[in-house]
Amino acid sequence: MRKKKNRINRKTVLAFATLPVFFLLFAKLIYLQIFLHGRINRAVEKMVNRENVEVPKRGDILDVKGNILATSIKSYTVFLDAKMIEDFETLKKVLSENGIKIKEKNLYDLKNMSYIPIAFNVDSFTVEKIKGTKLKGVGFEAKYTRQYPQGRLLAHILGITGCDGSGLEGIEKICNASLSGETIKTKIIRDGRGQIIRNQFLNTQEIYGCNIELTIDRNIQFIAEQELRKAFEIYKATKAICIVQDPKTGKILAMVSLPDFDCSDKIKDIRRLRNSAVSDLYEPGSTFKIVTVAAALEEGKAKLSDSFYLDNGKFRIAGHTIKDDHKIEGSATLSRTFEMSSNIGMIKIAQRLGADLFYDYIRKFGFYSLTGIDLPGEAKGLLMDVKRWNALTLPNISFGQGIGVSALQIINAFSSLANDGILLRPFVIQKIIKCNSEEEIFEKKEIRRVVSKDTAYIMKKLLKNVVDLGTGKSAKIQGYTVGGKTGTAQKIDPSTKTYSTKYYTASFCGMVPAINPEFVVLVIIDEPKGSSYYAASVASPVFAKISKRIADYLCIEKDDIK
Amino acid sequence: MRKPFFLGVSLIITIFVYLWQQNMSMRLAYKVSSLQSDYDKLNSENDILRLKINSNLALEKMDKIAKENNLLRPGEKHIIYID
Repeated sequence: MRKKKNRINRKTVLAFATLPVFFLLFAKLIYLQIFLHGRINRAVEKMVNRENVEVPKRGDILDVKGNILATSIKSYTVFLDAKMIEDFETLKKVLSENGIKIKEKNLYDLKNMSYIPIAFNVDSFTVEKIKGTKLKGVGFEAKYTRQYPQGRLLAHILGITGCDGSGLEGIEKICNASLSGETIKTKIIRDGRGQIIRNQFLNTQEIYGCNIELTIDRNIQFIAEQELRKAFEIYKATKAICIVQDPKTGKILAMVSLPDFDCSDKIKDIRRLRNSAVSDLYEPGSTFKIVTVAAALEEGKAKLSDSFYLDNGKFRIAGHTIKDDHKIEGSATLSRTFEMSSNIGMIKIAQRLGADLFYDYIRKFGFYSLTGIDLPGEAKGLLMDVKRWNALTLPNISFGQGIGVSALQIINAFSSLANDGILLRPFVIQKIIKCNSEEEIFEKKEIRRVVSKDTAYIMKKLLKNVVDLGTGKSAKIQGYTVGGKTGTAQKIDPSTKTYSTKYYTASFCGMVPAINPEFVVLVIIDEPKGSSYYAASVASPVFAKISKRIADYLCIEKDDIK
Repeated sequence: MRKPFFLGVSLIITIFVYLWQQNMSMRLAYKVSSLQSDYDKLNSENDILRLKINSNLALEKMDKIAKENNLLRPGEKHIIYID
């Protein structure tokens, strides 16, 4: 009986000892489940659920044949987390084997920091190799970096991007919104081991930026760049420009501005970013004479057979003497005046037109207005209002001095003649290709008719004569007829503020074939140094080399069998 | 006697189906996750290879190689056009 009593006592004691523990556990459970339920739930959700930001790949820029001109590649920033490192020496060795060096000698030098970037722009192959070692304390941060596989080619057109990936110049800037794509946030879950669990498959290509297809042909661009670079170096010019345009559509096939830069390199001289072909103004010189002659022919103020007295190469007007570089004795027809690029002849033709009509035609040809090209930084030009013209303005402008034009405006004016008198909008973006393969196509856009088809035809014949019989003989190419005009313009000397006898701009703008042109080429060499500065010996030969190679490349039918 | 038995069995089956579904969805989520990373990896490899092709075929590079090997542009007579 005593034994039994003892046993009961022990059981009771045990029960009394354990029950409070269970009671406390139960109470805690109630407290956690009922009172702390919300807070714990939130904490767990915070630990498990993660918001993943999917950064889209920037769209590619392609040439007319689909060659990649600019693309984005995933690269990584490798960083160390000092708190997580277990074996510093092994980590250092593995990273070194993969070409990443850590400057710090021991773990203590890392000062217990959680984010120490040690290498940038590391490719995914190297990252996979390092990941494979499963070493702790090393992390990878992915981002897209812009790559330009063609090097310097098309640098000014493509432009550059900033460190945040947004476009700062060229197509990269103009099409930034289309190229950038859409950043989206997805929800992911992390398990206890840190593994990611996704509840949906995301087709990352769907959030990619759009691809941009240009009208530029990589091969034509290369030809233009190669030949222009040679001339740029030979003549030690300060600048050189070449534009190739399809006159029937307004498409720009190539555009080169020198000096240039490599889009992938660090830009040391910011002035090199300027696309001279679009942004810089120059006095065109004799290439501008097409405006004077076309306007006079169109308005019936002059005929091809009209004779002009050329004052034996020296003409005095408003207290100034205008000279002809290619002196013609006595009189010459309009045709001969144009062929030999007579300044005096042009003054007399412009005088027949009068200031108002001449001004109208300058504007009709697209000068002193934006061409509307889809590139940033286009210059409008410089032209004094006709009401403010003095006695010397009309004569000066008639042969291309006293007016500021961009290279693009000049080639577009020539293209309008090549296109039977219709001025078109020049453009470089042909297509915007969305990630769902939808395409936004840009077609040719007519601005206005500048001259009639007949006048345009006469002008083409005149331009052909310039190359066959006049100042542009060095622009001739084998197998093809060429029409074009030379231009040697004096530049203003900044110190004297008068026209310099030292600094010139040599240019040539021409079309191949002469009567039914397939392409128009403009070559400008700014401040050529050496024995000659004349367009006929500096710019025309470059035009000939470029045009011959382009004509062969485009398989244009030969029209000059002589 | 039968009624509670069937009730118990159906309860067990329901719990089993529920647990199986939870397990399967978890396994599928892991699979989706691994497929997603494989897909992203392939995409990025593809991009790198496309870049390599375009870099190797860059005209400036090819021109440099041609010059190193003393190659010249063919003359007019050396080209035969086939209709």
